[in-house]
Amino acid sequence: MFKLDRKLIISASLVTAVALSVVGCFQGGDVTPPPSSEFNNHATIDGGVYYPVKDGRTGPYRINEDTLKGGFSHGRTPTANEIAAWDKDIMPDGTGLPEGSGSVEEGAEVYEAQCVSCHGDFGSGGAGYPSLAQGNAVTLQKTLKNQRVKPDADGPVRVFGAYWPYASTLWWYIRDAMPHTKSKSLTDNQVYALSAYILNINEFEIDGEKVDDDYVLDRAKFLKIKMPNVDGFEPIINGPQALDNVRNYYKDAKNFGGLNLKQGAVRCMTNCQKETAVVTRIQNGGISDLNPPLSSVRDLPAEKAVVLDPAQTLYEENCKVCHADSSMGAPVMGDKVAWGKVTAKGIDKVYANGMNGINAMPAKGGANLSDKDFKSVVDYMINSSK
Amino acid sequence: MDNKQSNQDLFSDSIEEESKISDRREFFRKTAALGVTALAGTSLFASQDDPAIMHHAPWGQKWGDPVTKNLYGMPSAYEHNVVRRYTQLLASGNYRASIAVTPIQESTGIITPNGLFFSRSHGGTAHVDPKEFRLMIHGLVEKPIVLTLEQLKRYPKVTRTHFIECPANGGQEWRGPQFNSLQFAKGFMSSAEWTGVYIKTILADLGLKPEAKWMLSEGSDNSEMGRTVPIDKVLDDAMIVWGQNGEALRPEQGYPARLLLPGWEGNLCVKWLKRIEFAAEPWYCKEETSKYTALKPSGKAIQHFYANEVNSTVVSPSPEIPWTDLQDGQRVEIEGLAWSGMGTITGVDLSFDGGKNYVEAKLKGLVLPKSWTRWSYMHTYKKGEVLLLTSRAMDDAGYIQPTVDEETSVMGVESVYHRNGVETWEVTATGEVNHVQIRS
Ligand code: HEC
Ligand code: HEC
Repeated sequence: MFKLDRKLIISASLVTAVALSVVGCFQGGDVTPPPSSEFNNHATIDGGVYYPVKDGRTGPYRINEDTLKGGFSHGRTPTANEIAAWDKDIMPDGTGLPEGSGSVEEGAEVYEAQCVSCHGDFGSGGAGYPSLAQGNAVTLQKTLKNQRVKPDADGPVRVFGAYWPYASTLWWYIRDAMPHTKSKSLTDNQVYALSAYILNINEFEIDGEKVDDDYVLDRAKFLKIKMPNVDGFEPIINGPQALDNVRNYYKDAKNFGGLNLKQGAVRCMTNCQKETAVVTRIQNGGISDLNPPLSSVRDLPAEKAVVLDPAQTLYEENCKVCHADSSMGAPVMGDKVAWGKVTAKGIDKVYANGMNGINAMPAKGGANLSDKDFKSVVDYMINSSK
Repeated sequence: MDNKQSNQDLFSDSIEEESKISDRREFFRKTAALGVTALAGTSLFASQDDPAIMHHAPWGQKWGDPVTKNLYGMPSAYEHNVVRRYTQLLASGNYRASIAVTPIQESTGIITPNGLFFSRSHGGTAHVDPKEFRLMIHGLVEKPIVLTLEQLKRYPKVTRTHFIECPANGGQEWRGPQFNSLQFAKGFMSSAEWTGVYIKTILADLGLKPEAKWMLSEGSDNSEMGRTVPIDKVLDDAMIVWGQNGEALRPEQGYPARLLLPGWEGNLCVKWLKRIEFAAEPWYCKEETSKYTALKPSGKAIQHFYANEVNSTVVSPSPEIPWTDLQDGQRVEIEGLAWSGMGTITGVDLSFDGGKNYVEAKLKGLVLPKSWTRWSYMHTYKKGEVLLLTSRAMDDAGYIQPTVDEETSVMGVESVYHRNGVETWEVTATGEVNHVQIRS
């Protein structure tokens, strides 16, 4: 382990017998003590100031150093099954990635059913939902140098294919977080299929083979995916030198647009500006859709109109965002035909679908409602659509 | 004023007392002078008696609420405009991958009340049942553990005051000012007194293996929010917290427990925490690749951009609470906030001409590491004056805020995150306040 960790622990006076065995590197003798200059400026990995725990203090705070010595026996050892149930992250080297397979075609089907309502046709995105593809990833990766300094300039395209360093993130994220309204509901094969589909619309090749419409993705092929922007990030955070890379990167303020008085920056007090400096103003009113509207008035809130049906309030707070129009693919309030089709399933089925969620309809509309309240809103919606 | 007391003072012969007396005389002299000059111009000599004084106040003549009401207290109904606010621009996921920002124009001191703390999530605010809360710590440790909430709270507690800032605070304004509002321009942050346990305290018994370099922290929410943390921070001041300003965390802040990495990106301080794993290589979570990476003009993006750099803003006046009511010659405080995720604020400079010339402002109140710090400058207002108020903070790591030009010359305008170039607020001739930027 690196000398800074060692320094952290040592100067934090944490070094009891327990702590030593915890951070096993101390006995190793594989590191030389850091130069004293490093002790003096106490750089932390982020380039900031290090406040050691010393003489009952850390920075301005008092601290009971006895509390840091360990010896606690809270909690218990998790079972192997418990760890397996939660330890499901997926790393770039394939750690955690299960076996399975899925085709682009299957992926397109699942996408149509469960993703298109938010992410748009072929991953176009829009209306606040991220785009999943904009075309050929290798080509788009070249846009990352674009800067919109002029208003009409093209910006960098930061979609999955062009920007992300590893595909493992895609698989992991889709399984755990998507569809947004009902996450953790996809099978592993569906996640492979969706990944295949997303690779397809990003026009990927894997191992020289085009991910075309009848491509079938599996674990082995997945691990061969090379992302065009894999080298597009700094500092480098993998490999044995990773932590040193990061520490060194943040030691130099220039790397991240910072200015540091200990690195040659000057605290100018007079005549600090170029002749060309001008006042830039908000254009076209700027962003003015601010809710609730800005106000610093101190008065009593306007009386809310009396709502006879509490279900109406619940509808407005929780369901209207999706059910007021057809943009999300929800049966629209007041649309007789659409709700006729829904109720034809039988009311119990409709309640159940609503409570468990169905396709882009989140369980209970994503609202924190009791079963009784939820059903009352469904009744209200059905009655208002007759 | 107690006459007897002051007579006694007059006979005192101690030097200290003497100086007190002359201070006091000075005070009387000044007040007397003010009485006939400056104050005459203000509404203090009203032509009519103020009904608020002349009438009994309605709340003074009837029973107030019994103590049995509001067993959890609520703000005065008159404060209903002091709320978090949101915008369609940042409304992803039907406001479930979105942000509501803090009214810092109304904030006082260095603590944000829990109900106003900014709210940001990637899959909506989760409502965790504390009975089913479990925290698992495993990976490259000799002894993995799982803790219930009660067991977690058995660890010795540490209480610290730190801000949490979304690194996209100000991130809409790389290409120019966009929000004529302090709340939206700088309110993607809040500050609280947090209580929890240092992770190094828990690790003392778990036996971190020497190859452990990275820590994954994962939330139990809909988005299973995950982030990778380097071991340096874990062994320094990283905490798992359950207390926020003397009560349990609010659901919006990760109830019942979240990670707190003092000074670092809010996104790294994973909420609704469920799992911590140690490994030799980093993870690549969605929020540390797709987002929270800062693209530079070279086409390369900074990843693992941890600390929120030194920053500051004028808070009073603001577009929301301007100086339109000020009279000519009135003395008024220009107040602001400064903060740094890399250390302690050491000073703030204030410019009246948009950053051409600076004077030194004064720090106020507690000055704590990785915390909001208040600063102040007294100004005599001249009716009709036009000012460009620019503040510039420094911290004990040596960092000083760059100008907008200096920052964009390195970072370009597409970085989204970690913008800490100086902010400028224009005071117009009528006392209105506008958000502007100075660029060349
Ligand atoms: C109800 C709307 C909704 C549905 C349905 C949905 N998503 Fe998403 N998706 C989102 C939102 C919102 C985000 C952004 C989340 C954030 O900002 O953290 C997102 C983000 C993503 C991302 C990351 C994009 C990026 O560049 O960061 C991927 C990949 C993704 N979704 C895939 C899917 C797939 C596959 C499905 C279908 C199984 C799906 N989504 C269904 C709303 C949705
Ligand atoms: C995020 C958007 C969204 C929200 C919020 C939402 N719905 Fe829906 N809802 C949908 C969509 C989309 C469908 C259509 C699902 C399908 O059949 O594909 C739907 C369908 C339904 C159905 C019909 C289910 C069936 O069996 O066909 C009911 C009932 C319903 N919603 C009730 C509600 C109620 C009540 C609320 C508020 C508490 C609510 N929804 C909030 C999107 C939403």
